[in-house]
Amino acid sequence: MTILAFDFMRRGLVAALLVGFAAPSIGTFLVQRRLSLTGDGIGHVAFTGVGLGVLLRTSPVLTAVVVSILGAVLIEVVRERAQASGDVALALLFYGGLAGGSILIKLAGGTNSALGGYLFGSLSSVSSGDLAVIVTLSLVVLATMMVFLRELFAVCQDEDVAHVSGLPVRFLNLLVAVGAAVTVTVAMRTVGLLLVSALMVVPVATVQLLSQSFRGTLYGACLLGAVMSVGGLVLSYYADVPPGGSIVVLSLTGFLVAAIAASLRKRVVR
Amino acid sequence: MSVFDLQHGTVVLGGRRILEDVSVTVDEGEFVAILGANGSGKTTLVRTLVGLNPLAAGTLTVFGTPFDRFREWPRLGYVPQRLSVGGGVPATVGEVVASGRTGRMSRFRRFSRDDRAAVAHALEDVGLSDRAGDPVATLSGGQQQRVLIARALAGEPEVLVLDEPTAGVDADSQDTLAGALGHLSNNGGSVVLVAHELGPLAGLIRRAVVFSHGQVQSDGPPPEPEGHHAAPGHVHVHPHADEQPPSTFGLDR
Repeated sequence: MTILAFDFMRRGLVAALLVGFAAPSIGTFLVQRRLSLTGDGIGHVAFTGVGLGVLLRTSPVLTAVVVSILGAVLIEVVRERAQASGDVALALLFYGGLAGGSILIKLAGGTNSALGGYLFGSLSSVSSGDLAVIVTLSLVVLATMMVFLRELFAVCQDEDVAHVSGLPVRFLNLLVAVGAAVTVTVAMRTVGLLLVSALMVVPVATVQLLSQSFRGTLYGACLLGAVMSVGGLVLSYYADVPPGGSIVVLSLTGFLVAAIAASLRKRVVR
Repeated sequence: MSVFDLQHGTVVLGGRRILEDVSVTVDEGEFVAILGANGSGKTTLVRTLVGLNPLAAGTLTVFGTPFDRFREWPRLGYVPQRLSVGGGVPATVGEVVASGRTGRMSRFRRFSRDDRAAVAHALEDVGLSDRAGDPVATLSGGQQQRVLIARALAGEPEVLVLDEPTAGVDADSQDTLAGALGHLSNNGGSVVLVAHELGPLAGLIRRAVVFSHGQVQSDGPPPEPEGHHAAPGHVHVHPHADEQPPSTFGLDR
């Protein structure tokens, strides 16, 4: 296994494994609420955070976490307040985030290749400092989702009923938003900001084709996310393509296979 | 003691006055129907009673506590007006009904034997015990409505507030629903429901509050519509003693 001979590959694989687990745990709740594109919005906003980090010469991961959390909270507030124009507000955030990032990075004298690494992932970019942050934050996201699983399920089923049950609805909604923001920044190194949302959504969309229950979908999606994430990273090493692309193409292939299996099953049942 | 006590309640939504100076009190053990034409404020009233709409004026107490200080949420059960259950991700009937326990449970406690028993009981009450493992999306509209009611029942509330539980529900499901609500009522529970047609529920209702244009038009024993005035939306009482029995409220006498 020559692939394990390199330090950066070993770090990359550990990061991919954890991110693969964590991303669908948030994604399940986003898909449940039909907010699949939220991760994309946060990814775009996080790009401004990266630009800020490059400009201020501090860790781009750190500034990305802060800016994307702010963006996620803003998106959640918009969603809660203005239901009708929510998607327009989201769109404005998308554009603003991407534009801000591109300007800030250029101002800081950044190169186009550095830019590409953030947008589509880069194999060699996971430093040991990054890895510590990625491991810690992934585990925090996973643990938080497990602790609040029941409440989050209730809120995602029906916000009104959750209110009348006395659940802290606003806090739980913010929890998902902040969790999504943290996951985006954690996954930024391996999958890249433009494709991170796919790792949150595609495993969930795949598993729910074959699953009957919410728990089954959640756990299945986390497992599938980890497999696709690690598999895609290995593929990217041998094919010499950006890891974000290979992870997502592999995940989409999995979705296609599941979709065919599901439709065959339906035909057999009939 | 009163379950809900709304005094001079005014509710403004999106700049429009939906309820104007409404006073409604529901006592423990009562079975009350909120009637009225579409847009008369029925749904707004029940949403206000459970705290989902803010009051622009007036006061609301729930189980004797001013709403702002009310924290005994497990005593309330709410069934919203929904055509179907769920969102993007599949969930089983059992999972949805079990989520009705969430408000009663502390964050780190596991699902206990009591929780399981309450869920089984609720499923039994709505006649869906054999469907617990099925995805809700595979159920009919009426069965999905029963799932929503079972979710509220699983929380073992003292009062159940339902918004149009019979709308678009097949006859079988309406009968099951009437049975479940009758059961709750016989055990001392209170029920407040919004309805367009009472159907099999008519026999359970002791009091009807009729709304018109955001105000209480009448409050008392359920009206008994007769003849052609018994069409849906008509709630005027026309006491022609010898006419044919009513059809809207399904009282076969």
